[in-house]
Amino acid sequence: MVHSEERDIIFRLKGILEFACQLENPNGAQSQGTISKSFQGLRSKVSSKNIVLTVCNSPILIWPNTGFRSNVESLMEASSCGDILQYIESDDSGSKKSSKKKDKKKSGPTAVNMKLLFEVTEPAGNEAPSLIRVSTQQHCVKMPLPLDCVLSVSTDESLATVCTGLVEALNKQLADMEEVVLRYRKGSSFLVPQPFHFQLPEPAGFTTVIYPAGVPDSQLQAAREDLHRRFKLPSDRPYLRRANAFHFPDAAYKDGYLRNPHIHLNPPNIEDAKLYLVQGVYSYHHYMQDRVDDDGWGCAYRSLQTICSWFQQQGYVETAVPTHTQIQQALVDVGDKEPRFVGSRQWIGSIEVQAVLDQLLGVTSKIMFVSQGSELATKGRELANHFQTEGTPVMIGGGVLAHTILGVAWSENTGQIRFLILDPHYTGGEDLQTITDKGWCGWKGPEFWDQNAYYNLCLPQRPKTI
Amino acid sequence: MIGKQGRMGRSYFVDEAVEEYLGGLQAAPGSCVTGLLAGQSSPQRDFVVLAVQTPHRESEGQPKASKGVSPLDDIDVEWVTEHAKQVSRMLPGGLCILGLFLVTPPELSKDAQNALKRLIFAMDKYITKGRLWELSEEDVTDRVTLHICSKTKKLVCKSFDVKDPKSSAKPADWKYQTGVSSSWPMLTCSVEVDLQIPVTGSSSDNTDKCMKDGLRRWAKQIEAACCLINGRQALDDSEFISGQKKNPKTTNRQTLPARIIVSDEQSELDERSSALVQVCSGSMKVRGVVHCRAYIHNNKPKARHAAQAIKRDIINTVCSRVEMFLEDLLINEGSQKGLCSGQQALPRRVFAPMPISGLSVCDYMFPDESTADVAERLKEMLDCETPEEGIDTSLESNQLFSAVSGSEITNSRDDDSNKHVISEIQDGTPKIQKAPQYYAGVAVAAAIALLATATSLLYFS
Repeated sequence: MVHSEERDIIFRLKGILEFACQLENPNGAQSQGTISKSFQGLRSKVSSKNIVLTVCNSPILIWPNTGFRSNVESLMEASSCGDILQYIESDDSGSKKSSKKKDKKKSGPTAVNMKLLFEVTEPAGNEAPSLIRVSTQQHCVKMPLPLDCVLSVSTDESLATVCTGLVEALNKQLADMEEVVLRYRKGSSFLVPQPFHFQLPEPAGFTTVIYPAGVPDSQLQAAREDLHRRFKLPSDRPYLRRANAFHFPDAAYKDGYLRNPHIHLNPPNIEDAKLYLVQGVYSYHHYMQDRVDDDGWGCAYRSLQTICSWFQQQGYVETAVPTHTQIQQALVDVGDKEPRFVGSRQWIGSIEVQAVLDQLLGVTSKIMFVSQGSELATKGRELANHFQTEGTPVMIGGGVLAHTILGVAWSENTGQIRFLILDPHYTGGEDLQTITDKGWCGWKGPEFWDQNAYYNLCLPQRPKTI
Repeated sequence: MIGKQGRMGRSYFVDEAVEEYLGGLQAAPGSCVTGLLAGQSSPQRDFVVLAVQTPHRESEGQPKASKGVSPLDDIDVEWVTEHAKQVSRMLPGGLCILGLFLVTPPELSKDAQNALKRLIFAMDKYITKGRLWELSEEDVTDRVTLHICSKTKKLVCKSFDVKDPKSSAKPADWKYQTGVSSSWPMLTCSVEVDLQIPVTGSSSDNTDKCMKDGLRRWAKQIEAACCLINGRQALDDSEFISGQKKNPKTTNRQTLPARIIVSDEQSELDERSSALVQVCSGSMKVRGVVHCRAYIHNNKPKARHAAQAIKRDIINTVCSRVEMFLEDLLINEGSQKGLCSGQQALPRRVFAPMPISGLSVCDYMFPDESTADVAERLKEMLDCETPEEGIDTSLESNQLFSAVSGSEITNSRDDDSNKHVISEIQDGTPKIQKAPQYYAGVAVAAAIALLATATSLLYFS
């Protein structure tokens, strides 16, 4: 995707709106009308003069529905929205020093987070309060709606346009939420409608989909099929599972693992070579993580964990990345190992990795056998094909070591090849600078392999599913 | 002046008008006079702008037999604390009851301190019961006790930390000044309130608890809200610059509009995956606009204290009215409370000038009352004459509905139950009840005080 010279800004407006209604008979015919009326009320609220948008980490407050008013004098209707950026205090305190340096390579849109608020002063009337008591039996329903709207614009778009766009997006989102709430309601049981943002290929582009909370992806197959048709998406790989949701540039990953450290590397300088890399997102798993001391024996387990993290984050599975114990148990369960294997420090190889991927994730893998390490240099085409079609990380075991191959730089003409390697033998902390500087994630030449040992590669295949 | 614990004692800067008032108090020979002191605290010093003696409690016809050995034992603690509560409802934001004074003849001066200590703790406990906002770390919890000898006019001023039941008296400074509050800026705002409170269960206890829970949730929203004063966000330790130089000669008091901006977030609800559904026996709505005021001292106040003062006034005014309404209901409807439907007006807020200091006090008018009733109450509670024209009733307008037709109950968010409200409203005009005249009459006054206490205990235990 080519970015224009003006940097894009993604405005993300979040806020909670409380949905409330009273139903006398939740199963009755009237209840749908009552629910719709409540949503109508919320749409009015969002279009009213009382809503206030604030830009997070800044003093800016904007009243979008009053002919544009703001508490910062220099921001006016016609100001370009990029002007907002100077008022935002970034909090760089938490980020690693390394990423500041490496991030210069990343040219992505800037995210501006906003919050939806309501003013309770400056009311329309001044009628003193009264107390209204109703004493009919009723079901009181309360549900916080997690509004989350996104607008992607260029930096010179006017603030007024941005605000109008955001208010429209709020209205539309409420309408979408109403649809989802009504569709999945059972009597007085309401599921919270949750927005997910996806960066889809054109023509759909950046899209927001509402899913009912608590309903797992596996039960939303039909909804996804419908959306795949509507957005003209291929029907053999997931785009709209919750795990596929767009990851905003400023959001930290709560689990603390590094994501895609390879993007911070400079590709190798080989004439005529093309890059064939892993697609999507994986987490870097390595020795000593999760307080498991597997130094010296756990490398294949860690490579397997990296592969599992890929399937989880691409939305193929909802299960968490397995622990060493769970991996060992899986092998016992398929009859590959004796029960005493669990809790041991025994090594595993590509065949075991294939078995576990099948058992725990339902993923099939191809095994590639190489009788001598020196032969790996000739496997450029196969590996390139793999990364092009499947795009999954590859586990390679041989000699006494296991590694993960994340891609190749290969020239069809000269046959020159480099391997992008993620090394599970790293024992340090999640320090991107060290990991890239010291080559724990790095480009290696064919001499990296033990030229005489034989190698097995496990190439996981994407399930054909959405 | 270094106190006993090595900490500085409090300094009370007192308006000369208070000096005048205290000097003019008449105590029957041998008897005591109790009263309240009101004003504003700040971390460094306190300001006293009002003194009011405890109103005379009309006896039941015969002079009350002396209970104890000394007139100090005759002090009606319940009455003093009830007066304090009533007066605290009349104080706008920023102001509160700062303490008590006690005038005694010379022979009782020694025991006066103990009496004051008992009184001050009892009073604080009673006033703060049922309060919907929490004290912050920086709130000053010292309360002043002022003892005046009726013969020598000597003042002994001490303070107690009412947060610590074991605290002992700390010496405090009492200094008179002119125009202590003359240039205090006044924050104002009108706040739209629209609360939907489900009622589970059918007893009146349940109704009270549901109301309390509902109000508390709303109060938390207000406390957490963003506050703009004069267009600037008031959230930090920066000095609250009112833009006016301190000048005791100026008579103009600056009025600063405040704006309150809330978010609907309630963190405990946010993690849910499904709606919270309660089967309710009914619901209550509190709807309308309340007018709020707060005063800020001008001794280097911080912006967030100003915000806190106006927010607390918002919370207090809604809470007070609901409390008063329910107290009234208890008397009129007895045990039937909570079971009837209808729309009823909550008392509306009116303002009047405070004796001399130029600040205003407020009172609440039930729909069937007039400014004459308010003037009477001000006379009894604050011991001052207020001409009826001085009472400002324009800030909150009369509720526009009539109980008969019920047709003005308009909702932007209609619900199933609206039609029931209309059909179940009592026919004919509501019974014209005189709202409790707090200190008028003999038995009624006592009964009301007792009932008020009982309700508060019920309501907020």
